[in-house]
Amino acid sequence: MTTRAAALVLAALLVAAAPARAAESQQAVEEALTCQCGCGLTVHSCNHLQCPSGEPMKKEIAERLARGETKDQILAAFRQRFGEKVLSAPTFSGFNWLAWVTPFAAVLAAVGVLSVILGRRGRGGEPPVPPSAPATGDPALRAKLAKELADMDEDA
Amino acid sequence: MIELGRLAVCLALLSAAFSVVMSSVGALRRRSDLIRSGSHAAYATFGLVVVAMAVLLRALLQHDFSLEYVAAYSSSTLPTQYVIAALWGGQKGSLLFWSFMLTFFTTLVQLQNRERNRELMPWVVAVLMVVAVFFLGMVTFITDPFERLPRPALEGADLNPLLQNYWMMIHPPSLYTGYVSASVPFAFGMAALITGRLGDQWIRSTRRWALFSWFFLSLGNLFGARWAYEVLGWGGYWAWDPVENAAFMPWLVSTAYLHSVMIQEKRDMLRVWNMVLVLLVFTLTIFGTFLTRSGVISSVHSFTQSGLGPYFIGFLLAVILSAGALVAYRMPELRNPATIESFLSREAAFLFNNLILVGIAFAVFWGTVFPVLSEWVRGVKITVGPPFFNRVNAPLGIALLFLAGVGPVIVWRRASPKNLRRAFLAPVAAGVAAAVLLSALRVPLGYAHATFALSCFVLTTIVQEFWRGVQARRAMLHESAPRALSRLVGKNRRRYGGYIVHVGIVSMFVGIAASSMFRVEVQQPMSPGQQMQVGKFTLRYDKISTAEDAHVSRLMAVVSVFQDGKQIATLEPEKRLYKKPQQPTTEVAMRSRLTEDLYLVLGSFDPKTQLVTILAYVNPLVSWIWIGGVILALGTAVCVWPSAAERRQEAFAMGAARVPAE
Repeated sequence: MTTRAAALVLAALLVAAAPARAAESQQAVEEALTCQCGCGLTVHSCNHLQCPSGEPMKKEIAERLARGETKDQILAAFRQRFGEKVLSAPTFSGFNWLAWVTPFAAVLAAVGVLSVILGRRGRGGEPPVPPSAPATGDPALRAKLAKELADMDEDA
Repeated sequence: MIELGRLAVCLALLSAAFSVVMSSVGALRRRSDLIRSGSHAAYATFGLVVVAMAVLLRALLQHDFSLEYVAAYSSSTLPTQYVIAALWGGQKGSLLFWSFMLTFFTTLVQLQNRERNRELMPWVVAVLMVVAVFFLGMVTFITDPFERLPRPALEGADLNPLLQNYWMMIHPPSLYTGYVSASVPFAFGMAALITGRLGDQWIRSTRRWALFSWFFLSLGNLFGARWAYEVLGWGGYWAWDPVENAAFMPWLVSTAYLHSVMIQEKRDMLRVWNMVLVLLVFTLTIFGTFLTRSGVISSVHSFTQSGLGPYFIGFLLAVILSAGALVAYRMPELRNPATIESFLSREAAFLFNNLILVGIAFAVFWGTVFPVLSEWVRGVKITVGPPFFNRVNAPLGIALLFLAGVGPVIVWRRASPKNLRRAFLAPVAAGVAAAVLLSALRVPLGYAHATFALSCFVLTTIVQEFWRGVQARRAMLHESAPRALSRLVGKNRRRYGGYIVHVGIVSMFVGIAASSMFRVEVQQPMSPGQQMQVGKFTLRYDKISTAEDAHVSRLMAVVSVFQDGKQIATLEPEKRLYKKPQQPTTEVAMRSRLTEDLYLVLGSFDPKTQLVTILAYVNPLVSWIWIGGVILALGTAVCVWPSAAERRQEAFAMGAARVPAE
């Protein structure tokens, strides 16, 4: 049951992390590509004055979009020319899946282990702490307030 | 004079090594004379490093271009404040600066603990001095800042123009302070492991140091983001560059520690986990330094490659192995029978918060090293850039924000349904109402929507906590509301200071979500007199103006800004051409308001046609990131300031410690 829940959460997180298939705007394509001038930014973010890499890439993207090419086709063309490093994020394929899955899998595994431990201990644990005193103006409330104030001081 | 600097560094290295030996042997043989020698040697190390720093600073201020470092990172026309910043602007100087900070903090720790922690202190000094030996060894043998040129240069190459900025004056020292002060909790943790004194004492002794380190890491990251925003001119403030990641990871783990340590103090649990976190923060600071200096991962922020990588890797492995071995050795004593009783408890919420924080740190680490892994396994170079980090960290960040609302208000041990109703009814109602309102305002469903709604949830929990505390005091002690508020915070600074810090973090979340998701940007070539529209603003390019001094030439586009037909500002984005390294840079022009920043960049200029290209961005709510930083600083100040009870306890402890001596 826990394994199935974890698998579902992992799938949901990966869906959340996956790129949205929105309109293939110039910006979306530029953000999917890394500028090759060494700035480390995406083509969209690189604003180096007359950048020898970013500016021609932006121009080419605009031309290809105008010719009706899709984002995937444009990315494939740049990938063929510059290699996989031109893509600003790992692809969702082969070994690169590890990049996407590992962080979520690690967090979920840790949460799963913690949940199992807490679940076991919770079943055998002490009885619940009694509910707090009723919120009325009686002496019980005053005692409760005094205790809360003392607790606050103790936390310091 | 330069020889004095070099001599001081060599002597500092010897003195630090002597301190390690004396402190360790003194502690092992319980010889107070040896321990005193070790302590005095640590003080002497600091003094010697101060001398070395002073010599290097003097050489910079006097433009002594016979020194390779001075010639490489300054010039005779560089403004004085940047000449001072050149102390940490280059690889060699920054390592000396690191040694200075480390020995300074060692001195402070020794002064703080003259009458306390007698069992731990010799080992604390030994560990800190081991770290000092490593850095001073680098300065002495590998990256000598006092290296002379075969022939003195006539003029310096100048500091990188991108570093000639106010934020760069304060960003590196803040980050170094955060990095280096993380050595203190690490040293206490190691001392606790070595001596077997694994109780709360080492944690209580380093509580403020951990907070201090976290605070400066926060500031360092924020100042760096502000620098990137102002100087790099791409409209953003965080690019998930490996070096940015290197500064972010210890911050995340340090944040986790500050939360989980409360569980140890309150319930004596998570001793192993807390020890691991303290050791991990320090390890990540060294890893970050390795990333910046090894050249193993390319980054625009890196120092020049210098062959330091293998030494840092060696030191990193030594730290991990020795710390790991000590934790394994002490594991039986570190274990504690106390357990978390329920999912619905503060300790469980804090633990999940820890998992998410460490999970994000791991995701950042994984993304940072994955290109190296890919090249190693597949032989293929890949890039792991902002799209990866944003997509992976956004869902984790949302979970973290939710837990920031749950953790502080849920009760310890086990919450009953009634506790939960009392704690969460109003915050959940506020969050749901905000979500409905946002949908009504047509904010698209997604991360920004979730962030805004959860921010309302978290802020309501905080307001509720203050409100209930004040009401309790007013009912019990008949205080006025302002007095009750002031006494409430004063009596429990950590708790309420923590809430204030959370307000700052929420403010940052809102600023990041809004400016990332709803940014408007337009790029347009313009002739003089021509207009362009960006968001609600109309921009008119009026003319180009120029200015020049001995250091830099400036080219400014004068742009009038109109809103609803009225002129509201004149902005002058500029290009600078620094003369010494002949390097053009961008100076953005901004009109910052609480609602949005109008951010202009001068992209290009054609002197023949007077045609310019203007990049204009409207970044909504981005100011709230910086305001969040100010709130965070305020909250931390409240946390750190000792309460009357703590001052009494400390005075008592000092008095008790003095009695046997007298």
